[in-house]
Amino acid sequence: MRETKKATVKVPQAFLDLVNQIFEIDKKASNIKEENSIQRNINKVRGLLEVDFFKDAGLTYHNPIGESYSETRTDCEATIAGTEVDNLEITEVIKPIIFHTYTENENTIKNISQPAVVIVQAKK
Amino acid sequence: MENTINYGIDLGTTNSAIAKFVKGEIVIFSNPQDYGRNTLPSVVSFKKDKITVGNKAKEYLEKDPKSVVGIFKRKMGTSERFKIKSINASKTPIELSAQVIKELKTFVNTGDDLDAVVITIPASFDTIQSNATKEAGFQAGFNQVVLLQEPIAASLAYANMKKETEMQEGQWLVYDLGGGTFDVALINIKDGEMKVLDHEGDNFLGGADFDNMIVEKFLIPKICKEYKFSNLEDDMKSASGKFNAKYYVLLRRAEEAKITLSAKTSAEIVIDGFEDEDGNEVDMEIIITRSEFNELVRPNIDGTIKMIKKILTRNSLKPIDLQFTLMVGGSTYIPYVRSRVEEILQIPANCEIDPTTAVAIGAAYYAATKPKKIGKSSAKTKTSISIKTAYNKASKEKDELFSARITGETEGLSYRITRQDGGFDSGIKKLAERISEDLPLVDGAFNFFSLVVYDNENNIIETDIEPIGINSGFGISGQPIPEDICLEVDDYDNPGKTRLILMFQKNSVLPLRKQFTVPLNRGLIKDNEEDYIVINVLEGTHLALPEANKGIGFLKITGKQVSRTIAKGSDIEITLSMTESRDLTIAAYLNMSDQEFKQTFNPKVRHTPIEFLKEQVEDLSDKLDVEIQEATDNEDFETAGALTKLKKEMETVSQATVSLTNDDVTDKRYQLEDKKRKIAQEIDSATKDKRIQAVKTTYIEIKEECEKMLDENGNDHERKTFNDIVAQESAFFATNSPLKIQEKSDEIYSIVGKIRWRTPEFLTNLFQWCKKNQTKMNDQTQAKSLVDAGNFAIESQNWERLSEINSGLLNLLPKGAEKEATTRIGFGL
Repeated sequence: MRETKKATVKVPQAFLDLVNQIFEIDKKASNIKEENSIQRNINKVRGLLEVDFFKDAGLTYHNPIGESYSETRTDCEATIAGTEVDNLEITEVIKPIIFHTYTENENTIKNISQPAVVIVQAKK
Repeated sequence: MENTINYGIDLGTTNSAIAKFVKGEIVIFSNPQDYGRNTLPSVVSFKKDKITVGNKAKEYLEKDPKSVVGIFKRKMGTSERFKIKSINASKTPIELSAQVIKELKTFVNTGDDLDAVVITIPASFDTIQSNATKEAGFQAGFNQVVLLQEPIAASLAYANMKKETEMQEGQWLVYDLGGGTFDVALINIKDGEMKVLDHEGDNFLGGADFDNMIVEKFLIPKICKEYKFSNLEDDMKSASGKFNAKYYVLLRRAEEAKITLSAKTSAEIVIDGFEDEDGNEVDMEIIITRSEFNELVRPNIDGTIKMIKKILTRNSLKPIDLQFTLMVGGSTYIPYVRSRVEEILQIPANCEIDPTTAVAIGAAYYAATKPKKIGKSSAKTKTSISIKTAYNKASKEKDELFSARITGETEGLSYRITRQDGGFDSGIKKLAERISEDLPLVDGAFNFFSLVVYDNENNIIETDIEPIGINSGFGISGQPIPEDICLEVDDYDNPGKTRLILMFQKNSVLPLRKQFTVPLNRGLIKDNEEDYIVINVLEGTHLALPEANKGIGFLKITGKQVSRTIAKGSDIEITLSMTESRDLTIAAYLNMSDQEFKQTFNPKVRHTPIEFLKEQVEDLSDKLDVEIQEATDNEDFETAGALTKLKKEMETVSQATVSLTNDDVTDKRYQLEDKKRKIAQEIDSATKDKRIQAVKTTYIEIKEECEKMLDENGNDHERKTFNDIVAQESAFFATNSPLKIQEKSDEIYSIVGKIRWRTPEFLTNLFQWCKKNQTKMNDQTQAKSLVDAGNFAIESQNWERLSEINSGLLNLLPKGAEKEATTRIGFGL
């Protein structure tokens, strides 16, 4: 068989930049101790990007912090810190994984528009 | 079969690429595992069961040098072997280069048999090194390998871009500054023959060094000035150092800033997320200007220019004897590199070709001129294997185990599994009779994987495997909802009435969640219990009357509950969610007071507030009277008769409801609610034809009006929107849904509205109306100046300006002058 054809829809860089900024705000807001009212606005913006921003498509992001890492994960561009290379986990996320989601033949397809940029270290 | 080679490979020290000449154009194949990048890092990693080439291998290069090898090109032609601990074997630079070439072959998606190729080599390569490169090509499965020097390849790319099939006689420099190496070559063309006359290079200079310099010489000193660190540089750079992870974060940010500085004159670098020795949180934003960056890299750039000068001296040339310097390699994007070379040599630095792919492009152009050797046909293994797979087609796990049984000869074959979204790559692994792999799944989506089998030269082997599809969506085991779930909202088309909007469609699979924000159409005065907003969730078709459906959740927010007065027009955010066991949660968030009201409703318990039931019964009774009157007036005696029969039943329900006390604890309210619902359903079905007829008439009228306006003043976009709606006409008429047809009328009406706002007649009439109401306007001075401007706009026939003026004037009208709609719910959609 031939390899499955990859989607060729390219999300404009400006949208990815916008999502990266929302992710940054999200990260910072989670460190602020308040009654989550900033988080509400962030969730709202995330919701807009996911549902209402484009016709029949949306952008979502995923923060892979704390997840295991190995070289099969092509959804992340990693830099290994420390001395160990086995049993790695993601300890810092500089950019999140951005998905472009759309429906095709009643299936929800999620394509990665931006791999995460992460720092990984051996699990402690 | 093509007669010329056509394929060119740039087998670089740090990065490689593959391109093909197709009908006069060059196609650069993108890396299928690396989000469309055109290059492949020349790094190979070995694990017991697999080989990985490229970016993933590069990530491990520095930290796992015993299993990962890079920069082996420098050792081509030597007897050096790289010991690989993980496989307990050693590899030659030729074998490693062959791995890179084989990986590049997987980029090609044309279905061509790859049997001949042009591979580029540095100008410095001697015969042994050149032969070693050829051997790598053969090991990767090519039968014919032609070599080409990199600076000549870059020059060919330039010549072809300029459409100069033959460059003018003369000489120039090719300045190649990449990610990790620098080369410069003097090229001469004489009697149509292009030659490398001389070359120089530094194997340890490139873009990565510049990132390091930003961190070490610029950022760390600035951080230390602001915060207390006794040995930050060592703590960052040592692998066991406290801040080693932060060092890599800074390197990434430095690289981003370097790229930004190619386009802008300054860049910001944010430093945060760690504490100094006094426990102060580091949080600073450092601006680096282009001139500061230039100062940092100047010694290195000047070093490259010294090498150029050496070449010139050796060849008794002056810069003026050269036509230009051709800039190649990613680091020549840096403006300072270009300007400094130009400034010192005083000859133009030519940056017209893409510096990262120029060598591969040149190789492909050259390949198009080289005939393929005929005779030695590809001795490809014709293998027929069959693959039987086993895996769960639906899963909610993070990973799903995939296993397969292979029938046929697997010796010498390998396989690779990749996820369609590019998020997973198993690497190339040996094929055996049985294989298994944990496949990571993206939540809430359909995950497609492909399994590809390769021979030992990375040529694809045909198999009978179907694409692997695993649904990780919600709809795997959740139950579908039996009816529509709707929300009651104010009906702005029928003031004082409400309508239903669809929240979750029948048969949608649980769990479900929907969130939306709407402005409130009434305010809530703090402490006033009379002011309220109602969120009423109902089950039943969304096309029915609100009274005809069953209430499943009801949330009322009164002035008593709000922490401050809520203004009309402020936003309310409503979230409805339903779990798999059909628990409904209504959450309403008032933006103005930053308050959330939330309640969960269990499907086993009914929620029928008596007060609300009373209101609904009263409304329904009024509605029935109106409908009977209307049917009688229209001489529709059949409908009138059907409705009159309901009247008696309605009266009984009304009386029973009125007599209910607000704190009644019996089941009576539920019985009455059921009866009310049945009556409403019957009214709905008896009057549906009438409503459909009415909306169809409106639709046809607005359609005709729009058609006329489009002919006179419509643009292409508006025509297309209109035609798209009309094309669906029979479909939405067939739904027999008044709401659906109304929706389409509204869409056409909005086209009409847009066109009107461009027509002089409408704009002039609107302006005249505003003028009449000028005295009522809030700001008289502004109103006067707008009216004067409007008169002038009409005189000068500046309709665009008049449109702006009209908007301005309408905004000046007092809010009280706007039609005050009677509302029941508190918001509408």
